Amino acid sequence: MVDAARHPKVDVRTYTEVERVEGFVGNFQVQLREKSRYVIADRCNGCGECAKVCPIEVPNYFEMNLAPRKAAYVPMSQSVPLVYNIDMDACIHCYKCVEACGKLDAIDFSMEDELVWEDVGAIIVATGFSHFDPSVIPEYGYGRYPNVVTAIEIERLINSAGPTAGDLIRPSDGTHPKRLAIINCVGSRDKRFNPWCSNFCCMYAIKNAILMKQVNPEMDITVYYIDIRTPSKGYEAFYDRAREMGIRFLQGRPALITEDPETQNLYVHSEDVSLGQVIEREYDMVMLNQAAVPQPDVDTVSSVLNISQSPGGWFMEYHPKLRPMDSPTDGVFLAGACQGAKDIPASVAQGSAAASRAGRVLHVPEWEIEPVVASVWEDRCISAQGKKCGVCSRACPYGAIEYEQGKAPRIFIAKCHGCGGCVAECPQNAITQLHFTDAQILAQIRALLADRPEEKILAFRCHWCSYGGADMAGTSHFEYTANERGLRVMCSARMDNDFIYEAFRLGAGAVLYSGCHPQDCHYITGQRVGSARAERLLKAFDKMGMTEGRFRVEWISAAEGDKYARVLNEMQATLDSIPKEQLMEEIERLRPQMEKRARRMREAPQVEEALEFADRLKAAMIGQEV
Amino acid sequence: MGSHSSSDTFADQVRASPGGEKITYCFSCGTCTATCPIQWIEENYNPRRIIKMVMLGMRDQVLSSPVIWLCSACDICYRRCPQGIRISDLMKAIRDVAIQEGYEPVRMVAEVDQRACAGCGMCAQACPYEAIELRTKWVNGQQSTLPEVDRFLCHGCGTCAAICPSSAISVEDLSDDMIVAQIREFADEMG
Repeated sequence: MVDAARHPKVDVRTYTEVERVEGFVGNFQVQLREKSRYVIADRCNGCGECAKVCPIEVPNYFEMNLAPRKAAYVPMSQSVPLVYNIDMDACIHCYKCVEACGKLDAIDFSMEDELVWEDVGAIIVATGFSHFDPSVIPEYGYGRYPNVVTAIEIERLINSAGPTAGDLIRPSDGTHPKRLAIINCVGSRDKRFNPWCSNFCCMYAIKNAILMKQVNPEMDITVYYIDIRTPSKGYEAFYDRAREMGIRFLQGRPALITEDPETQNLYVHSEDVSLGQVIEREYDMVMLNQAAVPQPDVDTVSSVLNISQSPGGWFMEYHPKLRPMDSPTDGVFLAGACQGAKDIPASVAQGSAAASRAGRVLHVPEWEIEPVVASVWEDRCISAQGKKCGVCSRACPYGAIEYEQGKAPRIFIAKCHGCGGCVAECPQNAITQLHFTDAQILAQIRALLADRPEEKILAFRCHWCSYGGADMAGTSHFEYTANERGLRVMCSARMDNDFIYEAFRLGAGAVLYSGCHPQDCHYITGQRVGSARAERLLKAFDKMGMTEGRFRVEWISAAEGDKYARVLNEMQATLDSIPKEQLMEEIERLRPQMEKRARRMREAPQVEEALEFADRLKAAMIGQEV
Repeated sequence: MGSHSSSDTFADQVRASPGGEKITYCFSCGTCTATCPIQWIEENYNPRRIIKMVMLGMRDQVLSSPVIWLCSACDICYRRCPQGIRISDLMKAIRDVAIQEGYEPVRMVAEVDQRACAGCGMCAQACPYEAIELRTKWVNGQQSTLPEVDRFLCHGCGTCAAICPSSAISVEDLSDDMIVAQIREFADEMG
């Protein structure tokens, strides 16, 4: 931290919040709120005279409230920059600090927050994690029994710079504990609170146990665990070392902690799983190894930076295996536990990777993007003709479309990721997506349904998930119906109503509308746009009297090859269950309605030419004129 | 016999039985066993071990075991289970499988002394498991309303025995007389 602050090319802004982010990769404008410290940073030399004279004491958050601090304070002794801060919530305005500061004249009670704009090329989010509050688990008694403490409290108690100078004492009476229990998975791997494994707590329990045992080899330490997870290099050896030192490991999650009201010793009730026996052991102190949870303000940060969240509130990466340090927004990168609970080596690795990714953005004059971006036909746009619309702008998950009534929308192609949501939502067919134009997709639909369409199942798949699912079904040799005809678009958001109508107009037996699961979408909210549309389609077809199951909506991940095969086979079974004459009658009956609903699509540029080409292709394929 | 197909494992069969859906969630942490008040009295009752045995396919050992009938459905373990498994429901699912497979419940159930019963029906109202139903039948050429205990539903809690004004219903081997005798003995011991 000190090195970073001294580096000529690193500008460290502490006590500062990001309020707004505008622009796009390479060209962000960031609004920062520099909170007022009531101390002028340039003048303060960190001597601490102000804190010495300050008469107010409040709990010290950095010491887990185990020690006091003054209202004029630095958060911790290694703070960077070493500039004091006045806590205005606690200050009584006695101005003794001003007096003590004397000639330096660094204290300014009239200071206010400053809002500044900065231009940046890339953003790295490294906002870290928070701790689960175990007081909500009644059976562990945290908050009721003074000798039940959290791991972070122990961390401060055994730290030589901590409130007790490294002397581990019991909060109830200040004596040295001889028997200590460490309980793992407090609030993690617990579906009542946080279902995830917090990743580092096993190692953390072992580390603290070893540290305490080194100071006091007589101490009796027991670690209660469900599973001990030591997956990284050297971790298992560390676990071995702990057992060699005489630290006891007991498999079984404690069900209850009770307290002896006289001695304030604690009884931990658990099953020793390896013995299959319930045991009750007495301890002087219990340490709860609480879960890692996302920061409480993740929602604010997500909305400021336009990055989505995985279930639970961790920031979502672009791809869990291939791009774990990229956020879905270009130019915004993720580092450390804000993306998911991880230990120090993994955080350092991800931070270094994110820095080098950001370096790529900063060191090139041009930035390459995928060519599948949206583009507007101004002559078709009704907003350009003065009418009110803005549908495209609302559908965009990236805020890449600027809408103003009376003008054609402006698309920032550097922000566009090519989901195609705006294209499919536009009621006028006034936007197209390069490489996935209406004309191209309609031509594909025609070609795929060229021969005996009533036997075919046309499957719309999204590039990232259900297409991968189909691929997985193939590579895993899961057999599914040969009547399936797949068609790839980038996202379920691109699956235009018109495509579905056109497929049924051409007489398709069944249509599958598939994409990712809601939480997996590569386009933040693209799937939601697609799924809302699919719901409307389901209702519309139901009203028209279409047999249930001919239009089906399924969310299939790239790993779910079995599901893809099963869904297709089920659709085939549905088709088989409808008598041929009945199916043909239904297709004929619904055709005029489909024709009517899909008519606007035919007006879009290039559609007629593409369809003509498709017809010629079809004629060549099946050897007959259309 | 049950409606399961022959390829189903024992665990599949329990999972398909209502209440048994979450059996695969169990990661054997032992919280339920350490919580269970039945376990204080009957050491062989270990819910975690029963789940493990089901998962390992130890069909006969589980279904013929007397301990699967012991859960009193107090649900303290359910409140503490980190995987949100309702063990009382799961035990019920296992018992349902046992009944389907023709295993008899191994537990004490309430019995009615027809000669003493006045047919007031208080027992049926008091039963927390709805195991008692009033039936009208002919006894010794005389029509009378008598309670009937469903031995599959009865948990042997004894609520009916305590409430019966004419001491006409009691849990097998644990009649009022026996309990009174035990109290007397205890009182004698204590002087």
